[in-house]
Amino acid sequence: MASVLKIQKANAAKADAKGKRKADDMDVDDVEETAPKKKKNKQRVLLLSSRGVTHRMRHLMNDLEALLPHVKKDSKLDSKSQLHLLPELADLNNCNNTLYFEARRHEDLYLWAAKMPNGPSIKMHVQNIHTMDELKMTGNCLKGSRGLLSFDKSFDETEWGRLTKEVFTHIFGVPQTARKAKPFIDHILTFSILDSKIWFRNFQILEKDPLQPNGPPQTTLVEIGPRFVLTPIRIFEGAFGGATVYSNPEFVSPAAVRSAIRREQSKKYNVRKDAEDAALSRKERRQRDEDELAVSKVFA
Amino acid sequence: MERLMKALGDDGLDDFDQAQLSALGGDSEDEEDDQGDEDEDEDEKDVMVSDEDEDGEEEEEEEEEEENTGELEEEAEEEDIALEDAEFVDEDAIAKRKVEIDNGPAMARIRESIQLDPSLPWTETLIMTYPHAIDVDVNDDLNREVAFYKQALQGATDARKLATKHNFPFTRPSDYFAEMVKSDAHMERVRQRLLDESAAIKKSDEKRKEREGKKFGKQVQIEKLKEREKSKKDMEERLKGLKRKRKDILENPDADDDAFDVAVEDAISDRPVKRGRGGAKISRQVRDKKYGFGGAGRRSKQNTKDSTDNFDFGSRKGAGGNARGGRGGARGGRGG
Repeated sequence: MASVLKIQKANAAKADAKGKRKADDMDVDDVEETAPKKKKNKQRVLLLSSRGVTHRMRHLMNDLEALLPHVKKDSKLDSKSQLHLLPELADLNNCNNTLYFEARRHEDLYLWAAKMPNGPSIKMHVQNIHTMDELKMTGNCLKGSRGLLSFDKSFDETEWGRLTKEVFTHIFGVPQTARKAKPFIDHILTFSILDSKIWFRNFQILEKDPLQPNGPPQTTLVEIGPRFVLTPIRIFEGAFGGATVYSNPEFVSPAAVRSAIRREQSKKYNVRKDAEDAALSRKERRQRDEDELAVSKVFA
Repeated sequence: MERLMKALGDDGLDDFDQAQLSALGGDSEDEEDDQGDEDEDEDEKDVMVSDEDEDGEEEEEEEEEEENTGELEEEAEEEDIALEDAEFVDEDAIAKRKVEIDNGPAMARIRESIQLDPSLPWTETLIMTYPHAIDVDVNDDLNREVAFYKQALQGATDARKLATKHNFPFTRPSDYFAEMVKSDAHMERVRQRLLDESAAIKKSDEKRKEREGKKFGKQVQIEKLKEREKSKKDMEERLKGLKRKRKDILENPDADDDAFDVAVEDAISDRPVKRGRGGAKISRQVRDKKYGFGGAGRRSKQNTKDSTDNFDFGSRKGAGGNARGGRGGARGGRGG
């Protein structure tokens, strides 16, 4: 995989001019080129993961691929330390956004959401993953239908919230020009900030109440899934690197959480052992000399 | 230490450096016992102090370079253990604080650079903003999910209105068939699970009703049995009373069958109908015998010397009645 990447890198370098032009095409702010045409929202998202993903993370990725038709799923990234390869990969696939799932220690999942050429990147910690497969999620929607995006008011209250809202709009909002997009609006994705974490839900919009098939038309929602919670860790100025523009003070790394738990558990043992030592020393201190009338002294 | 302070003189130490020094000085006093090292210590401290001053200056320069737009940056220093908790502090160690960066202007700049053209119609982005902030207890699952549901519901209803305004197709017609995100087989499993759930609930409900009904039914059964027994006893009592009253009919061959039957009926029924004494068919002589001379029939002796040898029985009716009374009485005795 690494050698293939090198060849691809070489090719990308050779075809750099072409790649750059394509990136320019996708840049919506380039007013001079698109002024005569009608302005369109063109987004493509590259979706990939690192090595060491569990089945739940893999299913989450598949769910996102099914929900968002403008997503291109790519094979696993070899190394976690060489994140600078990602912008080039995105260039190869003509994508101007990336969703990169980084799995650590087979248990922690981090999500990088980045705008490609040199846009900002957001690193988040993913928790409480429930995939679409769960039988409690009973909703269903068209594959490739453009979903509504609903953002909480709290996104507009902080600067990092506004930036995150913008990035998510590009990534999770399906553009009209996506090839596999379907016409009707079937479902709504909600992002809410609660306890300084971002909660994601996906609901299907039903016209009629399923319990009253002949009643008046009223909108009801059924959850389709997936659902997860994102904790923003840092926002970087560049794509997968660059200066830190925001760091979340309330983020505690999962490793720290685990070690704190273990330390708590070890406290019990340590306290017990200390108490035993103290008891022993107390016993020794209180030991009295042998009495004169003790058996061993009287009877030699 | 004092020599050092004097040596520094006008330069002096600002508060930060002083605090650091005092913290480090405190620790090193605990560790070092030799006085011979004191000179060394002071020299080192001297060096360290100057280093700190230099570091401070360097930091400022770096800061200026990085933040050319005058951004807000809090002191960037990382801490692994709290200084108070540290057992061993290296003399060269510098206390640091956790990184907390919130670079507002930079973020605004970036956002503006990536922003979508604001003149794009709503149909391009389909963004809805929920006008309320969600303020629920995180651990309260039900209310939290209700809050998310409300947000989505409002978004959906507002979007419908916007869609009609922009002539955007919203509702999927029922005859539009296309690939869905979840396969039909999966939806079948979901449906099956829902059915199973509702069936299980119904079953448990029925079982519970049966259990309670059984308990209740048992009570009803017991009560019925009791009632039956009671009514039986009642009847027996009444019949006994009737037999006792009617003993005089044994001796009276003219006893009226109807009268006895009527009496039995009266005894059985709860509300004995008040009637006349059978139309007064009893003759003058019978009357005299019965009521004359102090009502001899009832109150006379029955088991006398004469009666033991007297085998002259009364009429069939009387005997039958008596026999009945005798047998019934015996039955009543055992049953009761």
